[in-house]
Amino acid sequence: MDIELSNDDLSFEAEVREFLAGNAYKDGEDPNKWRMDWFEKAREKGGWDVPKWPTKFGGPGWTPNQHYIWQKETARSNTPWDMPFGLSMLGPVLMAHGSEEQQQRFLPDIRARKVNWCQGYSEPGAGSDLASLKTKAVLSEDGSHYIVNGTKIWTTMAHIADWIFCLTRTSDAGIKQEGITFLLFPMKQEGIEVKPIITLGGSHSVNTVFFTDIKVPVENRVGEEGKGWTYAKGLLEHERTGIAGISNSIVALEGLKEKANSVKRGNGSLMDVPSFKAKVAALEIDLMAVEYTELRSLATASAGTAPGPESSILKLKGTDIQQRIQKLTMEAGGQFSAAWGGTNAGPDFARAGMGGYMASRVYTIYGGASEVQKDIVTKKVLGIKSSKK
Amino acid sequence: MNFELSEEQQLVSDSIERFVQDNYDLESRVAIVNKKPGFSPDYWKTMSELGWFGLPFSEEDGGFGGDQLDTMVLMEQFGKGLVLEPFLASIVLGGGVLKRTASETKRKAWLESVIDGSKQLALAYAEPESGFEPHNVAVAGTKTDDGYTLTGTKCMVLHGKTADAFVVSFRTSGGVVDQSGITLALIPADREGLTVQGFPTVDGLQSSELTFEKVTVTADDLLGDVDNGFVPLNATINDGILAVAAEALGAMEILYKDTVAYTQAREQFDHPLSDFQVLQHRMVEMFMEYEQCKSLLFRATMEVAAGGDDAQRCVHALKHLIGKAAFFVGENAVQTHGGMGVTEELRVGHYFKRLLVIEAQFGNADYHLDQFSA
Ligand SMILES: Cc1cc2nc3c(=O)[nH]c(=O)nc-3n(C[C@H](O)[C@H](O)[C@H](O)COP(=O)(O)OP(=O)(O)OC[C@H]3O[C@@H](n4cnc5c(N)ncnc54)[C@H](O)[C@@H]3O)c2cc1C
Ligand SMILES: Cc1cc2nc3c(=O)[nH]c(=O)nc-3n(C[C@H](O)[C@H](O)[C@H](O)COP(=O)(O)OP(=O)(O)OC[C@H]3O[C@@H](n4cnc5c(N)ncnc54)[C@H](O)[C@@H]3O)c2cc1C
Repeated sequence: MDIELSNDDLSFEAEVREFLAGNAYKDGEDPNKWRMDWFEKAREKGGWDVPKWPTKFGGPGWTPNQHYIWQKETARSNTPWDMPFGLSMLGPVLMAHGSEEQQQRFLPDIRARKVNWCQGYSEPGAGSDLASLKTKAVLSEDGSHYIVNGTKIWTTMAHIADWIFCLTRTSDAGIKQEGITFLLFPMKQEGIEVKPIITLGGSHSVNTVFFTDIKVPVENRVGEEGKGWTYAKGLLEHERTGIAGISNSIVALEGLKEKANSVKRGNGSLMDVPSFKAKVAALEIDLMAVEYTELRSLATASAGTAPGPESSILKLKGTDIQQRIQKLTMEAGGQFSAAWGGTNAGPDFARAGMGGYMASRVYTIYGGASEVQKDIVTKKVLGIKSSKK
Repeated sequence: MNFELSEEQQLVSDSIERFVQDNYDLESRVAIVNKKPGFSPDYWKTMSELGWFGLPFSEEDGGFGGDQLDTMVLMEQFGKGLVLEPFLASIVLGGGVLKRTASETKRKAWLESVIDGSKQLALAYAEPESGFEPHNVAVAGTKTDDGYTLTGTKCMVLHGKTADAFVVSFRTSGGVVDQSGITLALIPADREGLTVQGFPTVDGLQSSELTFEKVTVTADDLLGDVDNGFVPLNATINDGILAVAAEALGAMEILYKDTVAYTQAREQFDHPLSDFQVLQHRMVEMFMEYEQCKSLLFRATMEVAAGGDDAQRCVHALKHLIGKAAFFVGENAVQTHGGMGVTEELRVGHYFKRLLVIEAQFGNADYHLDQFSA
């Protein structure tokens, strides 16, 4: 055990800082061009555009410390927007289970941020109980394609996505987890209807998606028919560590302190009010611990052993922390956080306060709700088997 | 001691409950929110015809001689439907100051039309830097021959855009946070130099910001004695706290009951969600929070209505507990509904939003905890 970063790590840190500073967005620049250039420059650094991808697929092959440094530094700077669906979710599945042809066909466009993917897992009747999904895929008699019919719900960004990776049911025999098949198909085609769902605060990111007789060639099936559940589960683990967002929380907590410092209370600021200060401190302590929980998890992962119990609690603790930051930010805005546009009263940050807080409620719902996450820890980590069911 | 409603209160409660059930389903409410002025003038008229606005006013003022308990009965039912009409702003707050301070002539001039709904009042006390303290008043009156001129800003004035006149607090002596030296006046909305900028709040209600640019306040505009405005202002804000606490209680009842109903209807893993013990126990906790709030609401409202020594402490305790429970019940109602809980399609999210705004109004849970323990 050793808490110091090595000299190599320190020079890596310097190199990352230099890269981020050198490629920061400049006022007046075309944001889209900047984004594409940024990823290209990151690629030239030796796979910095795909930090988590294995070297075989162009990743940088970083040590856990290097990943940690990268996360910390990028959280602190303004990096181009990115979507996790292709890069962090589908990518790893294709690398592990896709054919070589599929890897060559899809990975380069994912890497180049050219094609937007969406994730078609949840259905109206299959949320926490994902394995009960019903979207049907029927193989044609000549075995050349599937015909897909059914409904997906909560599909994030389905309205702008080019492609979807989709769990479908190809068999009702056996237990629910069997008979699920992993298919890829384009979103912009006849027979697909995308209906927006408006979430609290009026924003549109999720959708209901209806499939009517969608023809999907068998070449677009990942792995074997009926094995989709196994592939999908691996993918969820990637999704969950991403959702924990710990580096971002560290930056957000600093932001919270600054905001609270700017709010006048008596002769001092809100940060001098004991009840508020104590809540911020309690939050910071939890965050200090979870930061090291993540580092322990990165270390086990790089040692090649199966993800330990650390990773199971990352999503639970990480999302709780994110929600508390949002809640305290809203509280710091006081009465002004209730305003919904149309006024300049109160501190600037207050006006996003309730919106940010409401948006944060989904963190404990998507990617496997917290209750279900705890069921997983019960079974997989504590080793408790339910005697009933 | 007696926790039963009087026969009259029960009748009023039933009639409001029926009104809310018939008129305040989610779809109707959203339609009203999205149309100017953000509440229904028709409903406002009906409410006045049903006599609800006279409840907290004395018979001499043209009311029914009720007190905070009557307002509680009404606001709890309003909370179940997230009623949008400016009862709190005009009757409880604006009217609350007037009935405590106004001269005979002013009462005659205003209260009758406030009670019949033809005129609306609003209360302007908060300022950009006042935090949650009602005695923190920086907007100062500059003395003139016949009164004062006011320059400055008042914030988060509920239903200011439709108000005919504002009850305004301003400083006539002392330091910014002194309780003495605060004076109250009734200023018509069309007074020169006064601008009202309306905006919506997260819960779909309407708020506003008032800018005073050398606004004239005459001696005739003053409410009560110069420098002695804090006591009636604070008493009125206490009424406001009791009112929103009752409203929050109604909203929490909907939230916990909707959650119980939803978990029984929604199946996952071949079971209704209500079979899972963590959810059962969570709903028990939500229910207990609701019941605790109800107990403290009764206690605080009775104490205030009776003018008891413990009234102020009870009000602080109540607003603290309501704020804490609002988060607990609201967050868990949303969480237990899963994805559906965060959509605008189900009503739980809307009730949650209203609770958030109530928590930020008249001082949040932390503020009142500090006041309680001070
Ligand atoms: C903003 C947002 C974005 C999303 N994006 C996507 C996406 O891109 N693609 C996609 O496929 N899905 C997506 N989802 C769906 C998300 O994964 C589901 O909402 C989630 O799995 C929960 O399912 P549900 O909403 O049906 O809730 P339900 O499964 O109905 O659960 C309701 C509540 O019951 C609890 N519960 C369920 N089962 C149990 C149990 N056995 N024991 C105890 N408690 C239980 C849950 O934890 C939850 O609190 C998104 C959801 C949201 C809100
Ligand atoms: C000081 C003391 C005095 C007592 N006096 C008396 C007495 O005078 N007369 C008498 O008859 N008994 C008495 N008891 C016994 C007491 O009623 C039992 O201890 C109690 O009912 C719990 O039973 P248990 O100890 O067998 O625990 P268990 O029933 O084995 O429970 C162990 C734990 O599991 C939890 N648990 C059990 N079932 C469930 C479930 N379905 N869901 C979730 N959690 C569950 C319990 O809440 C507890 O936390 C006394 C006990 C104590 C400690």
